[in-house]
Amino acid sequence: MVHDLENKVFSIQTKNLTKRFAKKRHKGFFAFLRSNQTKNNLKENNDITLALNRVNIKVRPGELFGLLGPNGSGKTTMIKCLSTILIPDEGTAIVNGFDINKETSMVRASLGMVVGGERTLYWKLTARDNLMYFASLYKMQKKLAKKRVEELLENFQLSNRADERLEDYSTGMRQKVAIARALLHDPPILLLDEPTLGLDPSFSRQLRCQIKELSKKHRKTVLLTTHYMDEADQLCDRVAFINNGNIVAVDTPNKLKEKVKEAEVVDVAIYRPPENIENYLISVLPEAELVKLIIGDENEGFPSKLKVIGGDAEENAGIIIDLLRQKKIRICGVNIGVPTLEDVFIKLTGAKLTEDGM
Amino acid sequence: MQNCGPQKSSFRSNFAIVWNEIAKNIKSLLAYPTIILFWAVFPVFWFIPFILQGQAFVGGLESQNFAEMTGTGEYIPFVVIGAILNSYVNTLLHGMGENIRRELYQGTLDYILAAPCNKAYILIGKALSESISSTIFAVSQLTISALLFGMSITFGVILPVFSIVILLILGLYGMSLMLTALSLTYKQSYDIAESLGYVFYIFAPVRYPIESLPSWAQIVSRILPLTYALIIVRGIMLLGADFSTIYGEIIALIFIDAILLAGGFYLFNWIEKRTKKSGTISHY
Repeated sequence: MVHDLENKVFSIQTKNLTKRFAKKRHKGFFAFLRSNQTKNNLKENNDITLALNRVNIKVRPGELFGLLGPNGSGKTTMIKCLSTILIPDEGTAIVNGFDINKETSMVRASLGMVVGGERTLYWKLTARDNLMYFASLYKMQKKLAKKRVEELLENFQLSNRADERLEDYSTGMRQKVAIARALLHDPPILLLDEPTLGLDPSFSRQLRCQIKELSKKHRKTVLLTTHYMDEADQLCDRVAFINNGNIVAVDTPNKLKEKVKEAEVVDVAIYRPPENIENYLISVLPEAELVKLIIGDENEGFPSKLKVIGGDAEENAGIIIDLLRQKKIRICGVNIGVPTLEDVFIKLTGAKLTEDGM
Repeated sequence: MQNCGPQKSSFRSNFAIVWNEIAKNIKSLLAYPTIILFWAVFPVFWFIPFILQGQAFVGGLESQNFAEMTGTGEYIPFVVIGAILNSYVNTLLHGMGENIRRELYQGTLDYILAAPCNKAYILIGKALSESISSTIFAVSQLTISALLFGMSITFGVILPVFSIVILLILGLYGMSLMLTALSLTYKQSYDIAESLGYVFYIFAPVRYPIESLPSWAQIVSRILPLTYALIIVRGIMLLGADFSTIYGEIIALIFIDAILLAGGFYLFNWIEKRTKKSGTISHY
C-alpha cells in the first residue's frame, strides 16, 4: 500500500465525507393504491436527511479530538462511517493510513470504539466472557487474549467481579467493560461516542480521567463525540463543532472561546418568559449579536435562561433587568460570565447543544 | 500497555471465532434454566400425537397399506425420524434470523460488523450453536422413542445418518443465511421462517411418505433438502439401504446444498452492503 505523505501525518483525515439518509413518511400500507399516487410520487415524498455534508477534519496522532454538537447533528453517523459500519455516499476518510472504502479490515483493526454505551454487551455473560468473545473477533491468540483481559479488568478495577454476569453490574461498571472492550487489541485510535452519557457525576469524572490518561500517557488518538460542553472543554486538545452535518468550526477550546469575549455574555434566569422576548430584546439591545431563550422546566424548579451575546455585558444586563421588571417578569438570577463552548456554539450556529437537532 | 494487535487470519483464529460464538450462544441459552425443560419435555409432545393418531387409524403398530407405500410397516420409527429431522428445520430457520435480530436489539451487531474478521465464521458459529441445540433435542426424542416405543437403533447406522444430518444442516444453513439477510432489512424474519417451516412440514415427507402427495406437490417436495435427507435416513435406518441404492438422493442433496449456500452467502453479503449504504443496518 502506498499513501501520500499527508495521509501519514494524520491518524484520521476525512475528505468530503458525506452521508444521506432517506427518511420515509409512513402513509400506510396501501398508500400506493391511492389516486394519483404513482411510485415516483412516493419516491419524491421521501425526505433526505443530510447527516454529514462534505465533512473535512484532520486528527493528529495522540490528539484528543472532540466532536461537539447537539443530538442528531451527525456525530454518531461520523463514528459509524469511520468504523465502516456505514458506507459513506460520497467522499472518504483515511484512518491510520487506510481508506475506509477500500481497506476496511485494516481500518477495523486500527480502531477501538464505544458506541451505544452499556447496552452493547451480552448481559447474560460475565465481563470476562464478554471480553474473551470480542478478543476472538480481533483474532487475538488465546494466551495473549487471556493476559490482556486480566490486565484490562485490573486497570478498570473489575477483577473482583469479573465472573459475575453483566446484568448484575451498575451502568458505570458496564460502561467500563465497554471501554475495556475497545482497548482489547490495543488499537492506536479510539472512537468514543458519548462515553459518559447516563453515568452519575462520580463515574463520569473517573471515566474522563481514564480517557485523558489513554490519550496523554498511552498516546492513543481519541475522537470523542459529546454534547456536554464541559467534558469537551476539560478533555479535548481540539474541538470541532458539528451542526446539521456541517463542521462549523475547528480549534482548541481556548481559541474557540476567544470568539466570544469574556464581557460579552449575559445569562438571565427568569420564570414565565413572554412570547417573542428574543426578538424584542435584540431590537432594544443594538450591540447584541444574539439573544437566545433556553426554555427550562419550571415545574421541576428549573427557570428558563436568556442568553445575550455581544455588546457591553454590564450595560445589557441593566437594560434587560429594567425591561423585565417593567413587564413584571420574575428574575431569579443574573450572571455576567466567562464564555463557555456552548456560548461559542450558540454564537456560531444559533442552535443550542442540548436541544434536539435534526 | 503492550501491543496486542490483531493477528492475521489462520485456521486457528477462525476456529476460535466459531468456537467462541458457539460458547457465547450456549452460555446465553443456559442462563435461562427453562431451556432444560424444553430439551427434555417438549420432544415428547412433538411426536406422540402423530403416533397416537396413526394407531387410531390402523388399529395397531403396523399398517399393510403403509408398508406397501414405504417398504416398512412400522410407522412409529418413520414418524420419529420425520419429527427429529424436521426439528432441525425449525431451529435453524428460526434460530439464525432471531440470533441476528437479538444482536441488533442488544446493540452488539455494530461491534460484530466493526471487527476485522470474516463474518462468515461468526455465522457458522451461530448455525452450529443452533444445530447443537437441535441435536440435544433430537437425542431426547430418540431416547424417548427407545424407552416408550421400543425403537431400536443400530450402532452401525449412526455415522452415515450423522453425515446426512450434516448435509441437511448445510442446506438449511444456506436458507437461514437468506432469512438472516432479510432480518437485516426488515428487522424480523419470524413470519417468513414460520411460513417456510410449514412448506417443509407439508411438502417434505415428515409425517407421511412422499407418494401420499399429489403429483404437483411431489415436484415441490423434490426441491427441499429435507425430502432427500428423510428418504436417505429412513432408507439407512429402516430399510438397510446401502450407498448404491441412495447415491442419487445424496448427490441431489449435495447439489441443493450448494445452491442454497451460494445463494445464502450472496444474498447476505449483498443485503449487508445495501443496509450499510442506506444506513438502516443498526436500526431496530
